[in-house]
Amino acid sequence: MPGWYYDKKELRSTPSSQDGIDYKTEMRYRKEGARLIIDTGSKMDLGYNTMATGVVYYHRFYMFHSFKQFPRYVTACCCLFLAGKVEETPKKCKDIIKTARSLLTDQKFATFGEDPKEEVMTLERILLQTIKFDLQVEHPYQYLLKYAKCLKGDKVKLQKMVQMAWTFVNDSLCTTLALQWEPEIIAVALMYLAGKLSKFEVVDWIGRTSKHIRWWDMFVEDVTMELLEDICHQVLDLYSQTDANNTPDSPPLQSQKATNQPPPVSTQRSSNGNEKVVSPDQPPPVNVKVPPPSSDVPPFPYQTFTGAPPPVASYATPFAAPMGAPPVVAAPPHLTGPPPGPPPHITAPPPTVFSQYVNHPPPFTAVVPPGAPPFFSANAPPPNQPHRPYYPPPT
Amino acid sequence: MAYLENSMSADKQKAYEGLNKIGRGAYGTVYKAKDKQTGNDVALKKVCVPLDEDGIPMSTLREIALLRQLNSHDHPNIVKLLDICHGQQVGQDLVMFLVFEHIEQDLATYIEKNPKGFSTLQIRQLSRDILNGVDFLHSNRVIHRDLKPQNLLVTYDGHVKLADFGLAKTYDFDMKLTSVVVTLWYRAPEVLLGLSYATPVDIWSIGCIIVELYSLKPIFCGSSEGDQLSKIFRLLGKPAKHEWPEENTSIKWNSFDVINQITLGQFCPYICETAQDLIMGMLTFDPNKRMTALDALNHKYFKEEPINT
Repeated sequence: MPGWYYDKKELRSTPSSQDGIDYKTEMRYRKEGARLIIDTGSKMDLGYNTMATGVVYYHRFYMFHSFKQFPRYVTACCCLFLAGKVEETPKKCKDIIKTARSLLTDQKFATFGEDPKEEVMTLERILLQTIKFDLQVEHPYQYLLKYAKCLKGDKVKLQKMVQMAWTFVNDSLCTTLALQWEPEIIAVALMYLAGKLSKFEVVDWIGRTSKHIRWWDMFVEDVTMELLEDICHQVLDLYSQTDANNTPDSPPLQSQKATNQPPPVSTQRSSNGNEKVVSPDQPPPVNVKVPPPSSDVPPFPYQTFTGAPPPVASYATPFAAPMGAPPVVAAPPHLTGPPPGPPPHITAPPPTVFSQYVNHPPPFTAVVPPGAPPFFSANAPPPNQPHRPYYPPPT
Repeated sequence: MAYLENSMSADKQKAYEGLNKIGRGAYGTVYKAKDKQTGNDVALKKVCVPLDEDGIPMSTLREIALLRQLNSHDHPNIVKLLDICHGQQVGQDLVMFLVFEHIEQDLATYIEKNPKGFSTLQIRQLSRDILNGVDFLHSNRVIHRDLKPQNLLVTYDGHVKLADFGLAKTYDFDMKLTSVVVTLWYRAPEVLLGLSYATPVDIWSIGCIIVELYSLKPIFCGSSEGDQLSKIFRLLGKPAKHEWPEENTSIKWNSFDVINQITLGQFCPYICETAQDLIMGMLTFDPNKRMTALDALNHKYFKEEPINT
């Protein structure tokens, strides 16, 4: 049976690209579909695994079909519908459609045709066939938790790091990483990234032997720093997608022009122009072993995917003992809406990107001060807000 | 979108040619076909999946997911699932084909073809293969439920692969449709009594099968649940009253009179003592006291030099 991993060249010669859709647009379609799955799932209280499984189906589906032939939002609903059944969190097809509808403009929803349910149900069979009934999918989350248990060091810092890595994993669903690397490797890479950004250096771990140079040597073999960097960049690129110049590490991925336009039908955010750069209180993590090009990517150009309209500040509840101190790094105000009150803190990627997800893990206490300004407003529009331009760090 | 679907399933069917019906298995009809791409023979098992208002039922999807998952381990004693494709929708059913590697003979045929019997070494090899496969299933929380010589496949080099597992729910549905007579001969007492059951049912079946490898004929050939139980009690003796399950069962303890009791050695004189010990550990009335697959694999039967080869 087929493998589900592709190299970058293959990711650029998909059915969509052969159908005349350029790479950047395809990546946007992938992201938008993934967002819809996550937003719909969150709204319906589906678990993070169900949503992640749905998103993986979605990405796999479009390795065989073109976005021109199969409208992305219909596919997204279908993937969530199927994932719900496979993960034993079934939702009625019509309810999924109803929820998705509330998140989409009428124009986008028009792609569901006359009989949306029939459309999704028919697609279910095509989807099953396309993904070859390979329904069980593993995600980085479980590995993240497993690895975290082995790391020694300051508990609070560790929790913060894990929480941040968790958020990166959430966001990584909007990339094609799940089509490139095993969940174990993604987990390692994003923990590595979170460790850098949260200044948590792992010096010791349970089960360490003299053979191990890095903690992850215990779990994965032959993972080079180049690979980890590349994975991190693919996630970070989500937050700075409009500027290719700053991410030379993952070169061919972006075209040069920062013209990431919202699709014609999307609702535009007016707040976009109001942004300004707030200098970070701390320098970008230069002392980390990130090669030069990447050192200017972290932490502040973080744009959360908060198009999702989860209840404001709902994230605060699941955490037992929130950390008091507000995050350290000041950051540019947020894209998704005029930030209420003080500029949002960008420090750690908010652990809340997908509220639903965060309900989960939790052997870890909070990272977010309960009183922190919400990162998004409840009525923020769905996915398609334009990207905030990337602001390079001050030198 | 329907047109797309039809053209795709047509493509799929073209991938396999020469559908010859080769039998009716637990799932439904089994066909032999040739995979045009590889030229290999494959076994296509046709399964009818009842669609409900929300498409393919969750239980079916879970089972298929599990089959695929198990398959990814590439276990040597599990028949390989090569592909899954769905065909047309017929009324409320969706027809699906599970494509497995085709293995010419099953253990029943293999036994028939060897009227002189097997060497102790062969029997040990076959038994170990079966137990390895079942241990693998059990450690993945899968119960086969219907182990019998007909769904144990024997490869040309004499290894056993398990088939027909993991679709318990789909399969129950199918049984009602196909009038396949389900054999009771390898059924554990708790199944015959209609009680809840778990992995030990498979161990019981393996016990029966190992005896058959020695004796070349089934040990318990009952014609009904009650008859099957009384045949079992001839060997085991009637369980003591307190051993009889407390759960409600339609079959009562005092409805049995055990006559003509026999021992394993009388039934089949070729079974050495070590093998008898193993088999009786598997043919234990109380499922909680029955050996597990792992216990069996660690039994001295598999460690000792065979006495008579």
